[in-house]
Amino acid sequence: MDSRKIGLLACFFITPCVAQAQYDLVLQGGHVVDAKNKISAVRDVGIRDGKIAAVADHIDPAQAFKLVNVRGLYVTPGLVDIHVHVYAGTGEPRSYAGDLSIYPDGFMLRSGVTTVADAGCAGWRNFEDFKQRIIDRSKTRVLAFLNIVGSGMRGAKYENDLSDMEARPAADMALKYKGLIIGFKTAHYAGPEWTPVEHAVEAGTIANIPVMVDFGTNRPERPMSELVTKKLRPGDIYTHCFSGLRNELDETGHINPAMFQARKRGVIFDVGHGGGSFAWTVAVEAMKEGFVPDSISTDIHVGSMNAGMKDMLNVMSKFLAMGMPVDDVIARSTWNPAREIHHEELGNLSVGAPADVTVLRVEQGQFGYTDMYGARLRGDRKLSCELTLRDGKVVYDLNAITRPDWTTLPSNYRQTGDPRWDTINVPPVRRAAPPKP
Amino acid sequence: MRRFCVLIALASALGAQPRYDLLLKGGHVIDPKNGIDRVMDVAVSNGTIAQVAENIAPSDAKKTVDVAGLYVTPGLIDIHVHVYLWQDLKGEGVQADAFSFRSGVTTMVDAGSSGWRTFPDFKARIIDRSKTRVLAFLNIVGAGMGTGKEYDKTEMDAEAAAKTAKAYPQVIVGFKSAHYVGPGWEAEEGAVKAGEMTGLPVMVDFGRINPKRNINALFLDKLRPGDIYTHCFSGHREELVASGKLNPAMAAGRKRGINFDIGHGGGSFYWYVAVPAYEEHFYPDSISTDLHINSMNAGMKDMINVMSKLLNLGSPLDQVVSMSTWNPAKEIKRRELGNLDQGAAADIAVLRIDHGNYGFVDSAGAKKSGNQLIVCEMTLRAGKVVWDLNGRASEDWKSFPYQKQSWTHVK
Repeated sequence: MDSRKIGLLACFFITPCVAQAQYDLVLQGGHVVDAKNKISAVRDVGIRDGKIAAVADHIDPAQAFKLVNVRGLYVTPGLVDIHVHVYAGTGEPRSYAGDLSIYPDGFMLRSGVTTVADAGCAGWRNFEDFKQRIIDRSKTRVLAFLNIVGSGMRGAKYENDLSDMEARPAADMALKYKGLIIGFKTAHYAGPEWTPVEHAVEAGTIANIPVMVDFGTNRPERPMSELVTKKLRPGDIYTHCFSGLRNELDETGHINPAMFQARKRGVIFDVGHGGGSFAWTVAVEAMKEGFVPDSISTDIHVGSMNAGMKDMLNVMSKFLAMGMPVDDVIARSTWNPAREIHHEELGNLSVGAPADVTVLRVEQGQFGYTDMYGARLRGDRKLSCELTLRDGKVVYDLNAITRPDWTTLPSNYRQTGDPRWDTINVPPVRRAAPPKP
Repeated sequence: MRRFCVLIALASALGAQPRYDLLLKGGHVIDPKNGIDRVMDVAVSNGTIAQVAENIAPSDAKKTVDVAGLYVTPGLIDIHVHVYLWQDLKGEGVQADAFSFRSGVTTMVDAGSSGWRTFPDFKARIIDRSKTRVLAFLNIVGAGMGTGKEYDKTEMDAEAAAKTAKAYPQVIVGFKSAHYVGPGWEAEEGAVKAGEMTGLPVMVDFGRINPKRNINALFLDKLRPGDIYTHCFSGHREELVASGKLNPAMAAGRKRGINFDIGHGGGSFYWYVAVPAYEEHFYPDSISTDLHINSMNAGMKDMINVMSKLLNLGSPLDQVVSMSTWNPAKEIKRRELGNLDQGAAADIAVLRIDHGNYGFVDSAGAKKSGNQLIVCEMTLRAGKVVWDLNGRASEDWKSFPYQKQSWTHVK
């Protein structure tokens, strides 16, 4: 018997191959948290053709081609991390358009993240290289804030060059890749001028997309208070909001009143944890004063990945540890950031939305979380990712909840997945021969 | 009088100068080389192991970390990874530092991603820039792996490979032959020839078999004692015979001194091979991941996940640690690694064993349940903390000396 026949046979043994099933995949019995649709309750989730097809109290298991029991777990929209650095692979040392970036798929899918926004590694000069190298090749959905610096985040020499911060070519590139370029970034600027911010806002106004600001060196000539109350527009994003490096705490030790004013104006506050942008002294005080971040994001790069940041779930768990309810943590990691980047089809489980879905477990125990200085805050809960779906298909499965037990399979079994719901263990697809020149 | 007081203070300060930089206190040390498998303290100084003993006084250390209830082992050694990131977009390599430390791995051996033509580039762009200790098996194919040249006999130049290995004795630890389809033995013979010219071992991914090109001939005629057969539980090359028993060639190869390595990867580990092998008491010599972009998110995941699989298959923890530290160190002839000898580089993993219900996936997506999971709490590389899952080496934020820290931050 050839292996293909075995595969077919195996398929009949393993999964109830209900070819007529209404759903390709049903997640059964999980606690769904969908902030957009105001759901926080036990629901079944049905997926068909890569889209959410139903979220209901009960879906008939007979209508599921593949049924997965997720009782006791949280089912959420795929997490959206709007501050990452993923322009890796160029070989450029000491550059975020190179060695300081990470490859997205190695971190995101195992952390339940299905969408990331690169925060300004590329500018208009190198965006298309970034697209070809990373965006087009990743299983993770990669979007981008385009750096207002034409050369992107290649180091201080480039990032402080005022002559390479033109709004027009940046806006043109964003208009060319509408939906993929979701905003502009200004970052790391050391000088006293407002030029980088002003040009980013100008580009944002032309392309009608938001600006994300890493406010660089703290300078009295351009205080953070003026940035968030005057320079930024409603919908623009102040990242690294709990760094404490730019007077986020005022001299009395309280959250800078300008931040409350700015929030009233509609300016967005994003975590952007990173290697040097999250201090307990600031975050705990902010939470105490009710100044919670609009979105939780990692600022992942090689300098933060193995430090206090670690990954998206670790950063989210820090907010659990500070007392934020689970539903709230999830909203600020899904629906809120999706809206911030004007991708309202993401970060929710509406019928018809792309079936990017994350199944999370809340572990109980004794955990420690460290900030940028290496100071620790203890917590008794931690999020872990059990299952990640991208466009309705399994891209990560920690504990084999979608998998058949090996003892139930025929001997010499081969791939047990099915392309209707799986990307990992699907039989090899016969590729068409490349076209002859 | 005042000068005298200052002198006294200075003298006592000097006298109180701790001998050790870091003390890991109260952990269960597993150091297979030295036959240690019990609660011991480990002191680190100047990046090296200073002392492993019962009850080292915290006053002797600048910093003491309580690791009671955890296991302290040599930094893990993964001898089958792919970490050469190409510039031509086709590569399957991953970033070493992104996977190593969070899994307790301090040494990775790239398994033939580069060949003698491409090694200098691999070294310059990856080895020299990684915090992880990255070593390499040099591909006998000059162009390296995944380049479309793996069947090209003219690329298999033993002399050129040996010459390159001799030029980089610090980092090249052997030769790799991989994916060769035959019908002859050109790749394996070329690798062994290079191995003989340099005194280094060969790791074989045996590619495709045919009636003459089989593992019996490979183990008994082609490889030398000390050479490494990776993907040993793949079942792709008659490791298991029709009766469901292990191929007698495996035991014969072991008897001859061939090393058997896991090399899990995306398609090289199946329960229906591993379970019968364990039933016949055929355990791997070394555990390795075959980490690349197609294995990282599948059943393989990372080094400690693969180790957890073997723990749940029935290997005792000390054996699992041995297969991931001292055994692979010996296989690559790097006896200064994989142990906690006094004076050795302080590459250390601090591991926790969790108990619960876990599922482990093989290369077909088949599940085997288990109740133990290895978690990496801390990793030290050359005596420095490079991973600290729960902030064990940190202080509570409320008593943390924030004021002493520099608040100026220039990116």
